[in-house]
Amino acid sequence: MSFAGARLLHISLCVLAGSLVLCGQALCQSAPPDTPPSPATDLVVKDTPDDDGGSVTLSWSLSADDKGGAKDVLSYEIRRSKSPDGPFTTIKKVLKGTSSTTDEKKVENNVDYYYQVVTKDASSETPSAVAGPVRAHVQWFNLGRLNTLLITILYTALLLYFISRAKKGEKLFVRRIAGLDALDEAVGCAPEMGKPALYVPGISTISDVATIASVNILSGVARTVADYDTRLIVPNFDPIVMTVAQEVVREGYMAAGKPEAYREEDVFYVTSSQFPFVAAVDGIMVRERPATNLFIGMFFAESLILAETGASTGAIQIAGTDAIAQLPFFIAACDYTLIGEELYAASAYLSRAPLLLGSLKGQDWMKMFLIGCIFIGLVTLNVGFAGFKSLFDLPLTIFR
Amino acid sequence: MTLETFSGTFGLWMGAALTLCIFSFLYKDNPFYRFAEHLFVGVSAGYWLVYNYWNIVKPNLIDPLREEQWQYLLPLVLGIFMLTRLFPNVGWLSRWAIAFMIGSGSGIMIITYLQSNFLEQIKSTLVPLDPTGQPWYVVVNNVILLVGVVSGLVYFFFSKAHTGVTGRIARIGVVFLMVSFGASFGYTVMARISLLIGRLYFLLHKCVGVI
Amino acid sequence: MRRQVPLVICFVAGVLMLAQSFVPPLNWFYTNALAWARIISCIAVFIGLISLVRLHATKVRRRAADWKFSIITLLALLYMMLAGLLTRYGVFVKLHGQCVPGSMGDKIVTGFQNAFNFQDIFLNIQIPVQATMFSLLAFYIASAAFRAFRARTFEATLLLVAATIVMLGRVPVGHYIWGVPQATAWILDVPNTAAKRGIMIGIGLGMTSTALKIMLGIERTYLGIKD
Repeated sequence: MSFAGARLLHISLCVLAGSLVLCGQALCQSAPPDTPPSPATDLVVKDTPDDDGGSVTLSWSLSADDKGGAKDVLSYEIRRSKSPDGPFTTIKKVLKGTSSTTDEKKVENNVDYYYQVVTKDASSETPSAVAGPVRAHVQWFNLGRLNTLLITILYTALLLYFISRAKKGEKLFVRRIAGLDALDEAVGCAPEMGKPALYVPGISTISDVATIASVNILSGVARTVADYDTRLIVPNFDPIVMTVAQEVVREGYMAAGKPEAYREEDVFYVTSSQFPFVAAVDGIMVRERPATNLFIGMFFAESLILAETGASTGAIQIAGTDAIAQLPFFIAACDYTLIGEELYAASAYLSRAPLLLGSLKGQDWMKMFLIGCIFIGLVTLNVGFAGFKSLFDLPLTIFR
Repeated sequence: MTLETFSGTFGLWMGAALTLCIFSFLYKDNPFYRFAEHLFVGVSAGYWLVYNYWNIVKPNLIDPLREEQWQYLLPLVLGIFMLTRLFPNVGWLSRWAIAFMIGSGSGIMIITYLQSNFLEQIKSTLVPLDPTGQPWYVVVNNVILLVGVVSGLVYFFFSKAHTGVTGRIARIGVVFLMVSFGASFGYTVMARISLLIGRLYFLLHKCVGVI
Repeated sequence: MRRQVPLVICFVAGVLMLAQSFVPPLNWFYTNALAWARIISCIAVFIGLISLVRLHATKVRRRAADWKFSIITLLALLYMMLAGLLTRYGVFVKLHGQCVPGSMGDKIVTGFQNAFNFQDIFLNIQIPVQATMFSLLAFYIASAAFRAFRARTFEATLLLVAATIVMLGRVPVGHYIWGVPQATAWILDVPNTAAKRGIMIGIGLGMTSTALKIMLGIERTYLGIKD
């Protein structure tokens, strides 16, 4: 054999051996045939409670291969059929780890449905046993809200009872609320100093009850301001609140017998963005220098910017809000602050209208009822009976 | 001006200049702040209008009406009633729209707040006071919690004078309220300082590049 | 008619909203009423716009104080309106054939139609000024604390002591001071929770009572009509 021939043979043998080694390695590395995942079990299907039909709730036990993602289950597919034998059509997919869902996809009421949950991994799937039949129904009463209904009825009855007593002329006592007592005095300062009063009715919409409470206070303020022949500036964040504020302020001036003193351009819209609104109101406070600043209604983070800028101008400031997170800042920077429920009591307090005062009494009785519930609840809970506490569950499940 | 220049260096410097204009208000009101404030109000009001049109009016009113979903005529009519506010003779029609919003808002608030601020709060206050099976300090804390809730409620009693026993309980309520307000105040400080750091970082890093 | 019809509308809307909470087949009212209220609010923005333009135009016409700045507001408003409304997608972003709302703040998305630099103006004017206004709170929170400190009342002292402890508990150095982390946790979990619960219950009762009075027509100041 020539040298070249021997060399060629050597190379060929090497290539052959190398190929065999690579093939061997490749064989060793290939995955074993894929085994389908274990199925989801205990599939339970039922009509979704407390709804207007068109929905079925499914729950199941996770596949044994769906444990913290250690195995290869990727998702579950919900399949539905009108017959236990199929054909089943896919309704939705949920991620691994999910063990309940609702089917709201064109579910007809009062029709039998059968369900299957299919456990899926990357390449295979395992269906669960078929569950059903189940029918979706319209429920005419949301049993889960029975406790809410009872509380609503009780509260309404209490309010109406005390309102009717007030209507009959019964005198109702109301404790002093410092912030509201100071209101007249604060507004009265403005004419003495020859300066206007500023009223900011919060930065929420008219659907917010806090805004209505603010509008009620604005009504009284407008009348006082008109009495004193002072200018009242009301910048608004929401256009609808602006229209209501204009009506209320105009009415205040009319009630004071000075309709000609009302200036519509003083009750105006600024913008419905939080910080531009604040920038503009800050500008008003430092340029117009109102003697009195009233921040009453719903406020967010801007509360402190407004209150501190106002305080720096030396104005008397009264704030009132039910935004719990903003109360500390108003308390620190304002002379008086109406805390939470005091904001809602203001309308009755300022107007002294018997109908409104009656409702304050109703609110207090409701607090007594609540304290009573807490004490009964604590006693029953601590003697080992949790049934009373579960009456306050949301949704209420005790009667199911 | 082209898109590139406005979104690039010019925009950055404009943002920085306006940032300084706003900060200048901390010293006192001045023309720079007035400029930034008036620009800010104009831009935001315009943006809000445009945002509302494209995000709410068009997809939720114009498009459904084009698809002949006639139930959307009701909000359209109420919306037009709202606009009658601009004409004094028929302005009273706007009250119909306002009444609808206030009525539906009130209805939903009653349920929401009786659930979240009444039923849920009672349930959360029902805590175990039995010392067996739990550490003593948990029981003490639960008692303090109970005292705080009840005294806080007594503070909000309006039809009873805050004198005598009621007055003393209400006073305890005030102590709880003030501690809570202080806690919220202290809790917020760092969050507010981090906002300032954010603006300083914008000025010094993005605009000047010194840090 | 002018007084009774709004009261009837308010009552019916309120009762329907209450009823839908308990009677599932009435749920449609909830979804629709919310959508309708949103649409009415959006249409009402036009009233706000007229008010804003009237205010600033009057200032300019009368040459009132700062009238020159009012021109800036009017020009900015006009430009944003035209740019935004004339652009086909406005603040919309076209992604995967689906329209999603544009950013109103921190989430800036790209790939939009940006005719007339509409979105750039928002990003380079509104966003930085907004963030700066927000950051002013760092100064104001300090001045408010100082104001509370000067008040020297029992309540103010309580507020300040609690605030100082919790503030220290929230910064790294506080963790090296004996008792501060524990005190912070205790204040937040016990007295803070108790007081907040008291306030929340009060708010819940006050708000629902006002809402009931509004529905029943007892509270009707918002109509601006007196009997």
